[in-house]
Amino acid sequence: MLTFRSPFLVTWGYLIKSFKPLAAVTIAFSMNSMSQYAETFVSGSISVPIEHRFYPYTDNGGTSLAIAGEDFCVVASDTRQSEGFLINARYSPKAFKLSETAVLATNGFLADGFALVKRLEQRLEWYKHSHNKPMSISALAQMLSTTLYSKRFFPYYVGNLLGGLDENGRGVVYSFDPVGSYKPEVCRAGGSAAALVQPFLDNQVSFKHQPTATRTLSLEMAVKIAKDAFTSATERDIYTGDYLEIFVIKRDGITVEKMELKKD
Amino acid sequence: MSIMSYNGGALVAMVGKNCVAIASDKRLGVQLMTVSTEFPKMYQATEKSYVGFAGLATDSQTLSERLRFKINMYRLREEREIEPKTLSNMISSTLYEKRFGPYFVEPVVAGLNKKNEPFICVMDVIGCLNEADDFVVSGTSSQSLYGMCESLWEPDLEPEDLFETISQALLNSIDRDCLSGWGALVHIITPERVITRTLKGRQD
Repeated sequence: MLTFRSPFLVTWGYLIKSFKPLAAVTIAFSMNSMSQYAETFVSGSISVPIEHRFYPYTDNGGTSLAIAGEDFCVVASDTRQSEGFLINARYSPKAFKLSETAVLATNGFLADGFALVKRLEQRLEWYKHSHNKPMSISALAQMLSTTLYSKRFFPYYVGNLLGGLDENGRGVVYSFDPVGSYKPEVCRAGGSAAALVQPFLDNQVSFKHQPTATRTLSLEMAVKIAKDAFTSATERDIYTGDYLEIFVIKRDGITVEKMELKKD
Repeated sequence: MSIMSYNGGALVAMVGKNCVAIASDKRLGVQLMTVSTEFPKMYQATEKSYVGFAGLATDSQTLSERLRFKINMYRLREEREIEPKTLSNMISSTLYEKRFGPYFVEPVVAGLNKKNEPFICVMDVIGCLNEADDFVVSGTSSQSLYGMCESLWEPDLEPEDLFETISQALLNSIDRDCLSGWGALVHIITPERVITRTLKGRQD
């Protein structure tokens, strides 16, 4: 029996203990009256518990990145959906337009990602009707954080990147952990190839270790950097590839560009 | 805690136009504590080839001494310097000798052969050779290094451009790794000479 019970075990899955009979063993007595020792065996069945377990999460792979500019924001996600070495879908978008100024990219367990987006879209509708204005991105970020923390002990298994324009029209990126910790940033990569892409963004977007580089980033450069980051990530990460969707959020609206990536 | 991330470290080697570059960080740690900030992981094998060992520091030092012996014996027997390709096969055999109790290092070899053609390769702990014609990476920040090298490298870089490329790739990768850092050392091997430069990065 489990002597230590973590808070997760109670809710994460259920344990079925079933019993299977061991092979029956027979009694045999020695028929020789001269023997002083009778060999005895136990008869009947003995039960042994076996555990069935259901693990509620899986990793669907994929990578995302978001770059905030002075008056734009770029959010890019690949579209491969996989489970281990199996590719479930080559075109399964992971970035969703939530409002005219915000795009959410989810990485990790996609079922939780879809459920989260559905909840957020509902709350956005309610907000729009009750406040008579669309939700600002900072309010949306906070709402996402509280939504994630509300499931602190059975989390949404997703890393989120929320990109868009704030109320002054400046680009902003909010990055989240699975239980809702968040902060605004200039650039962030998430997903399976995050470790490959993030240093490249540090170098090319934040100009780290480049003391003589120009400090302003144009939209064309940001999109070019996003494309290069993904082609490199596709080379070295097996979970990244197939297609790339780039969302560009500007004051006059959101445009989507779809690009081919290597399918191997 | 993995034994390969006990001491920490990062190594990268790249191929340029008639030159190779090899670079490493300078940190030596014991898990979360930094013990030395002057511990580059590369050793000069011959005049035109370098070997670097990422992984457990004690095995890195032991192997470099064993290799120094083997390279000297080779020179005495053959009356010539060992070629980088032969050297990497020698390291591979040395590692495979310990197949069921390995040295916990992932070596990187970079050098020019007698015709001044570039050669780089990386091995795993039991000596599987992986020769590349672009770049090789090793160490605790290998994933970050793969991302940086894949984006920044292009073929036929001149020695000075190769230096800039390998430096940017290494510095930005080790910034994202807690167990690597405290500056970097870069060797550029050209047919005429070896240029060594020390980089001052984030000192954390």
